[in-house]
Order: sequence, then C-alpha cells, then structure tokens
Amino acid sequence: MTSLQSTLGDDPGIAEELADNQRAISIAEFFEKNKHMLGFDSGARGLVTAVKEAVDNALDAAEESGILPDIYVEIEEAGDYYRLIVEDNGPGLTADSLPKVFGKLLYGSRFHVREQSRGQQGIGISAAVLYSQLTSGKPAKITSRTQGGETAKYFELIIDTDENEPEISVSEETTWDRPHGTRIELEMEANMRARSQLHDYIKHTAVVNPHARIELREPNAHFKSERATDQLPEETEEIRPHPHGVELGTVIKMLGSTDSHSVSGFLQGEFTRVGKKTADSVVDAFRDRHYGREMAWTPPGARGGVSEVDVASAVVEATANKGADATDAFAEGVADSLRKRERVAHHQLSEIVEDAAEEIGEEFGTTFGETVRERATEAAWRTVVGAGDGSEDDAGDESRTADDLYRIADDATSSRKDDAVIRAFADRLAGTFREGSHRLTRDELEDRVGRAAELTEEYDDVSFGETARENVVESVWSVMETVPDDPPLVRELAGSRDAASDLVEAMRETDIMAPPTRCLSPISSELIQAGLEKEYDADFYAAATRDAGVAGGDPFIVEAGIAYGGEIEAEGSAEVMRFANRVPLVYQRGACATTDVVKGIGWRNYGLDQPGGSGMPNGPAVIMVHVASTNVPFTSESKDAVANVPEIEDEIELAIREAARDLKSYLNKRRSMQKRRKKQSVLGEILPEMAEKVAEVTGNDEPEIDDAIARIMNNVLVERRTEANGDGQRVRVAIENHSGTNESIELTDIVTAEPTEVSDGASVVEMDGEWFVRWETDVPSDGEAVLEYRTGDDAAFDLDVKGVETEKLTVNQ
Amino acid sequence: MSADDDRAREQLIDLAARFYDQFEQGEVPSMSIPTRTKSNIEYDEEADVWVYGDRESTRSANSVRGAQKLLKAVYTIDFLADQLEQDRSSTLRELYYLSESWDNDNAQFNDQDESNQLVEDLEIVSEVTREDFHMRPEESGAKVMGPLRIREQTNRGAREIHCQDDVGQGGYQIPNNPDTIEFLECDAEFVLCVETGGMRDRLVENGFDEEFGALTVHLGGQPARATRRLTKRLHDELDLPVTVFTDGDPWSYRIFGSVAYGSIKSAHLSEYLATPQAQFIGIQPADIVEYDLPTDPLSDSDVNALESELEDPRFQTDYWEEQIELQLEIDKKAEQQALAARGLDFVTETYLPERLDEMGVL
Repeated sequence: MTSLQSTLGDDPGIAEELADNQRAISIAEFFEKNKHMLGFDSGARGLVTAVKEAVDNALDAAEESGILPDIYVEIEEAGDYYRLIVEDNGPGLTADSLPKVFGKLLYGSRFHVREQSRGQQGIGISAAVLYSQLTSGKPAKITSRTQGGETAKYFELIIDTDENEPEISVSEETTWDRPHGTRIELEMEANMRARSQLHDYIKHTAVVNPHARIELREPNAHFKSERATDQLPEETEEIRPHPHGVELGTVIKMLGSTDSHSVSGFLQGEFTRVGKKTADSVVDAFRDRHYGREMAWTPPGARGGVSEVDVASAVVEATANKGADATDAFAEGVADSLRKRERVAHHQLSEIVEDAAEEIGEEFGTTFGETVRERATEAAWRTVVGAGDGSEDDAGDESRTADDLYRIADDATSSRKDDAVIRAFADRLAGTFREGSHRLTRDELEDRVGRAAELTEEYDDVSFGETARENVVESVWSVMETVPDDPPLVRELAGSRDAASDLVEAMRETDIMAPPTRCLSPISSELIQAGLEKEYDADFYAAATRDAGVAGGDPFIVEAGIAYGGEIEAEGSAEVMRFANRVPLVYQRGACATTDVVKGIGWRNYGLDQPGGSGMPNGPAVIMVHVASTNVPFTSESKDAVANVPEIEDEIELAIREAARDLKSYLNKRRSMQKRRKKQSVLGEILPEMAEKVAEVTGNDEPEIDDAIARIMNNVLVERRTEANGDGQRVRVAIENHSGTNESIELTDIVTAEPTEVSDGASVVEMDGEWFVRWETDVPSDGEAVLEYRTGDDAAFDLDVKGVETEKLTVNQ
Repeated sequence: MSADDDRAREQLIDLAARFYDQFEQGEVPSMSIPTRTKSNIEYDEEADVWVYGDRESTRSANSVRGAQKLLKAVYTIDFLADQLEQDRSSTLRELYYLSESWDNDNAQFNDQDESNQLVEDLEIVSEVTREDFHMRPEESGAKVMGPLRIREQTNRGAREIHCQDDVGQGGYQIPNNPDTIEFLECDAEFVLCVETGGMRDRLVENGFDEEFGALTVHLGGQPARATRRLTKRLHDELDLPVTVFTDGDPWSYRIFGSVAYGSIKSAHLSEYLATPQAQFIGIQPADIVEYDLPTDPLSDSDVNALESELEDPRFQTDYWEEQIELQLEIDKKAEQQALAARGLDFVTETYLPERLDEMGVL
C-alpha cells in the first residue's frame, strides 16, 4: 500500500492530466450515444418512435390552440432510407421558435408545468430529428405556416450535437396549401418490420383522440380515421405542486427562489391545497421533527390529590426581595395554575410564571424581573420533575417522574406484563430524563425507550418486545408538547439540507387534501366509447372513467373501455390497448402495470374465457386503459410502460372492473337471449306438430297457437285483426305483454290507404302515398294495449315494432 | 269394440280435446298428474289402501322438455285410440319400438322408461287402466297351483281349468288381464304368495297345497299387476285369507308392501290391485333369531333401504317398525331357502304350519 502512496505522491501531474481529459457532455451528445433510452434502438423501432413523437407533437400543438387536429402521416421509401412526413393543422411556429423546437433537445414549454400533456421533456421531436441526421446525414425539412400568415416558412436544419443548438442550412419563404400548420420531413435509416406496431399506434391514437382526423399512408397501406366528435378535450390548467409529491432537491430549489420569508408563507404560496391551517399543521410537524417535543409531566397536586411537594414554598424560597405578601401571592398564583393542569411542559411552566409575574406585579406594584422569573421557573420545574433543590437535605422525589411514566407505560402495554417489570422499566426511563434533556425528537425518544427496555430485559430477565416499545413511544410522544420555537426563516432553511429534509418529511406526514383535477383532461367514458366504436366493429362497448386519485402528489385519472364481439378477432387472447395522457403505449407490454392488472383480474367472473383463471383473457375483446396524470410514472425514458405504482394499479383495476361489469351483464343477457332463441326454435317446431296431431285426434281444424307460444316464451305478442266495416275495414292492433317486465313499445303500422278514427295517442304521417301510424305505449307485465283505426278495404299493411328485443317479440299480421 | 273399449277411447280423445281447447284459448297446454313419490301417498281409510295425495306435478309446454312430453302424449293417445278402434293389443315394449315408425322425430321415445311412464301418466289422467288401453306388460304373469277351478275367456274361446288337476308341475299361468277369469269352484283354505320360484317348487314337491288346502301364487320378484289383481280377487270374491312368504330382507318387504298396500308407482290403482288384508309370514327378522337361520350381513344398500322403509308411510305400523329395527340391530338377512339348513321338509312340516297357526290362518 505504501508503495502506491509514494508513487502517487511522486507524480503530481496525473490528477491534472486526468482532469484535462474531463469535459462537459452536451445533452445532444449524450443521447447520440444512448439512442435506446429514447426508443430509437433499431431501425424498425426508430421509425415508429419518430412517428409517435411527431404525431404527439402535432396533436398537442393543434389542441393547445383549440383546433380540431387533422394529421397526415406518410412514410415512403427513399433510396436506402425511409422518408417520414408528418403534417398537422396546428397554429404553426414562428421563425424564432421553430428551429429550437425541432433542433434543440430539452427545449419545451411543458417540462416545468404541472398539467396533463402528451410530451413533457421536450426531447421527443428533436430526438427524432437527431436520429434522422445521425442515420441518413440529411437535415430535417420543416415547413410551417402560422394562422393568417401570407406565406409559409421553410427550413432545413440539423442539430449541432456539441452545442445542442440548431444549425440552419436553408431558410426561405415558400407557399403551402394548408392555411396553417407544420410539416416535417425526416429521412432516416429504417425498415418496416414494425409495421403492425405502427398501425396499432395510429389506430390506438384514433381511439383515444376521437376528436382528431388521422391519416396514414405507407408503402403497403393507406388508411384514414375520421373524427367521431367535434368536442376538443377540455383545456387543462396548470397547478402548483402538491406537498406530497415533491422531493428534497425540488424543495431546496423552491426555497431558494421563493419570495416568502416565513415557512408558512412559503407553503401557502408555492403549493397547491395549502392554506393557513394546513401550513400550521405542517409547521407543527416540522417543529416536532426539527426541535423535538418537550416532555409534559403531571404537576404536583394535580389529579385532585394532595400536593406531595409544595410548589408554592419552593417558589417562595426562590423569590427574594419582593415583599412577603407579593411573594406569597406570586407563589400561590404559580402553584394554583399548575394545579389546574393535567400535565405541564417546561415552556408551559415558563408561561405560567410569566403570567403570574405580570398579574401579581401589577397588583402589588412591583416588578418580577427576568432573573426572578427564571429562578421561580427553575424552582417550580424542580418540584414538577421531583428533582429537589440540589441541597443535601432535599434530594427531591425521584419517584414522581417514574410514577408518571409507569402510569403511561402500564396503559400502553398489555395487561399480562408483570407490574414490577413495568415499574422497573418506568424507573429506568425516568432515569434517562434526569440525565438528559426533557426536550427530544421522536427518534431520541425511541432511543431512550429502547435502552430502558433493553436494560429491563437484561436485568429482569423478561421480554419487552417491539410492539410494547412502540406502544410506549406512541403514548409518551402523544403527551409530549410541541415547542413554541419559531421555525427557521425560509432563507435559513434553504441553506440547511437537514432542516429542509425535516420540512419535506413534515409535509409528507401531514394530511393534505388531494390536488385539484382541473389540470387533468380525461377522455370521458362517452368519448372512449365513441373512439372504440369508430375503430372496432364490435357488438358491445363499455367504458368507465374513475374519479381522480393521487400518487406521489400528482393527481391522476384512470379510464377503461371494453369492446366485445362483432368483427374483433375471436381466436387467441384479448387485445390490450394502453394509453398514458392520450398517447398509445406500443412497446414493453409485459413491463406495464396495466398489463399486470389485466392479467390479475378473474375474467371468468365477467364472462370471458381465461385459461387457468388468471392471465390474459381469451376471446373477441379489446380492453383499453388510459392513465392521465400530470406526471405519469413510466418505467423508462422511452415512456413505453407505466410503472407499478400501487395507487395507480388499484384505480386501473377498479376502472376495468367497472367496464367489465357492464360487459358481464351484456354477456349474460346475450346468453339468455340465445337460450330463448333456441327454446323458441325448438318449441316453434314442436307446438305446431302437437297442434296438428291434436286436431287430427279430435277431428277438428288446427288450433291457433301463437297466443300460447307468446305466453310460453313470455313474449310480447303484437297481433293485427281486421274486419270489414261498411265500405272500409276496422283495424285492431293488440299488444299483449306476457313478459315479466313492463315494456315500452314503439309501433309503426304502414298503411297504403288513409287511416281514420285513429285511437288516442297515435299519430299519422303521410309520406308518398303511405300513411305511417305511429304509436308509443307502455304495456305492463301481463297487460294489453290496443290500437284501432279505420281504413279502406283494399289497404295493405306493414307493421314494425321497436322497443322489444326481437327474441322477445312475436308479430302476427 | 266393447263398451269398455269405447269408454277408454272416449277418455283418451277427451284428453286430446283438452289440449286443443288450451291452444284455442291461448293458454299453455299442460296436464297435471299426482306426484309419484313416497312423500305424496296417503292412507285412504275408506278403501283401506294407500293412494296419491294432493301434490301434483304439471307437464307443461312451457319448456322444451315439457313440450316434448306432451307431443309424445298426443302421439300415444292417437296410437291407443286407433288400437282400441281396431281391437288390437300391444305390449309396453312394442309401444316403445313402434314410436320409431312415427313420422315425427320429436315424438319418438328415448327409452322404454319414458314410454312406460307416459302410459302410467295417461292411466292416471284418463282414469282408464292400462289393461283397458289394451297395453300388456312384457313379463308373463305368475303361476297358481291349488284346489281352484276357473273359466278363462281366451282369444280362442273359453277354457275351464282346475288349477291342480288340469295343470303340470308349473301350475296355471295367470293371463295379463285376470278380469277375464271367472271362479267356478274353490276348495282352498287360504292363498299363499311365494316370492321365489325355488320355494314354490319345494312346496309343490312336498304337496303342501294338497295337504293344507293352500292356493300357492308365485310372485317372482316384484309381482306383476295381473298377479296382484288376481290375488285381490281371490280374497274379495272367494273370501280367502292372503298370506305372503318372502325372503327376510328389505327388498322382500317391499314385495309384501306392493301386494298389501299397493305400490308407489301405481297408487292410482291401489283400490283395484292392493289386498290390504294380506298377512306377512316371513322370513321375519324375529325368525332369524328364533330358528337360528344361516344369514348374510346387511350391505350398505340394505341398511339404506331399511331406513327408507322406516320413513315409508306404508310401513309405519308397530309391527313393521319393530321388525325393521330388530333387523338393523342384528345386522343380518336370510333367504327363504335358508330354512333348508334344518332339512328339506322343515319349511312344510314345521315353519309354515307354526307361522300360519300363530297368524290364525290354520
């Protein structure tokens, strides 16, 4: 070892030499070497990521200006490379900001803002530009036209990776047919192996952005997704950080830059959901943590007992030169106030003495000065803690504090503990107060209780376990008093890491209302359903939007949707679509909390097939989950998977279950309708056969059986009968409800001759020589309703009945 | 077609007409039948037999199964009505096979239990017995041996037969419809129903019928309706005491039960088939103890059957409760043939005379 030391010592130049080789790395340079961190790890994936970043950017740009997004994505082969073109109808960019948006990493408007948005770090699109220039060596070609601009601007730029600054090679005016918007053209080394992911991305984007029109054209495919709504997502508002979601470093930075002087002011000014009251609670918690609490003892004479030590005489003794009457009154005042208290801490005792000094001083026209007060306080405190006055003849009463602690410990521990053991423990704990301070933090208290417990275990040979210790600490801590010391000023806190850490802890442990959710913009269950309906031709759709929750101080909302049946692939497992802040997550499905939750749900309960009772459900289903948050916790910078945060996982589960419950009742209903159809088809065969045979045996005509069938099927029977009446005919349409529930029925009889004397409640509309007799009525279970009218004797009819499932309906006309 | 046949046919067509009317009135076709379980039989004090109680189950076209049953019923009615019209008869098994020829797959029977049950249903609802539908069971009727002269109306004319002198060792074969028999002359003292063929042969070989004036009726397991009907007529018309001699196990007690009280399946015909005055000879569990007979232990199913008999209203008498509880206690059963352990003549010379004497028959 020594030889190395001497070698180093001999050559003082090495450190300097090493230092010379060290230099700062630009962010652009860093990502040049770490492309995978941003999702550009391969040609296939790089293309998808570039599309994703460009489209996210485009959507954000349009929405922020209240424009319904209209996005065009084109991928074409360009020699050895692929050319990606993304156009939007956003507000366009000014000549100043444009190069920076596309040509500088970590340039963005949203990083510092607590508000739901697609991108955040401002890495996305510039990373795509960087990737393109690294692989193809070609500049990004950008056209942008601002609203009302006469012409458009055209730039070609690359990123100077050393400086992380855009380098513009071409800048000129041009014309563009879009009235406003931005167009970016990138050439990059890529391949289309990830075609299905690309299509998924576009399709999924369309689902969660039903207000956007998105078109994709690539060498092998071209599709367009029209908008399903004209409703833009609700605008979000920025919120201040929530005290539960900030880290120490952030707080120190905030402390450094705030205008507030007091901690309370700082808390109220810089955080959301903090008012005076909450700030006070945080400050109290900070005091407890930073300064500790003071032990409060039972004062002599309290609990209604006779004073075993005379507080008054101790105070009298300590007070000199104030006249006997005044001294007595002063001492009595102190003793009196003390007697009224359950417990008293040292700073409370000081207050009592102050008060008595003021009052008695005024009464007797004398002044109890600082020194007198201090001496009196000391003397009284000694009686409280049973310390005696220090003289030989008054050793005090040490059992006072021990008794006090014994009572606390006895209440706090299980009744099975031997009295003598508790007593011994309380003696030892009281000892620590005699030797040390009466002001201590919770950690210090734990320490003392721990030591006393250890000793008790050692000497009394009994166990004094964790739970007992914790209970004692809890009970003692709860009788201790928060000290009145002023918290440090903000600038002092900013300079002290430890104190700032105490403040962060205090903020975390204080109950604070959840952050407001106006910073979030959920899609809403209606629009999720609309999005699913637009992209999937299914039989059934359900969606659910949960109330906001909080994870790490960031509010979040989870939404889920399910599409089932129809054209959805029935083979294999259900498709899971994952979204974070309206952005589809395409890669790393297995690492995502959403996937874990879906797999953990017992789908059999909801009518889906699930081999083994866990894992991905099978069948023609699409399950979508959207997590919206001011800060979605991702597993990595490429933002492909939501991290397993318990609060978010719980909400994901609840949202999926909510939608799945609707699926279940749909499937149950479908099953019962299937059964009904089957029954109807079997009975529809058997009963006519039976009727025929019965007629044969009895020698009658075949009986009418529709009524019987309707009754058997608990069906709604709609029957028209006509009878000649004068020169026309009377029509009677009877609805018999044999089902167990009330039915609302919408009936339209289309007649080729004009109907007259139509019964009440029905309306007649003529259209091209046909009369539509419309009638809406509620028919109770086992009830009947009749529509009557007259019409010409040559009229033809066509009856249409709505409001009842076809399986439950028998129409006889 | 006889008047009886006419009535039967009318009853069947009435049943079909009931379905017809239900259809016409927009009602769900259905028919109600007493529930045929042991919890739904009750004692008819007047007739002294067990009959069905008030509980009914409904065959209704409400369900696919119910509709199929009713369809089959209508087809069967059609068939039976035709059969009566043509004065033909058929067996239950034939009915089952015959359904295969029907033009409707839905009306065909799945197994013979189904067709047998349906015929029973029709019997109950139409109040016409199976015999009057001209439906015969498969099993041949049992045999009678004893001093009795009868006249039977056969398909080939009337025959007069003396059941001791005119028959072989096997005895006189009871026809499917014993109501075609007329009793002419009777020297018998009592009727002795015997469960097993072996024991019947032993009695005949030992000349028990001649010596004691016994009219032996071979039951052959669960007795056919014809056997039970004849036994009842022998008792009612000739005033002969009826005794039943079976194995000493729970299944044999049920045989006695169906002779004396009527069976659960045909409780609607109890009045017509049961002989409530029939007396049980044995083998009684008490005999097993008294004569120290060779035995087998009770199997689990034996024990279950005994326990279920304790709950059977037909066996809720002091006598049967005592016997069954004794048997459960000794945990043994014995066959009739076990008496041979005391010699081949023991049954005719000792056991039966002693038991019949005890019972006041001799």
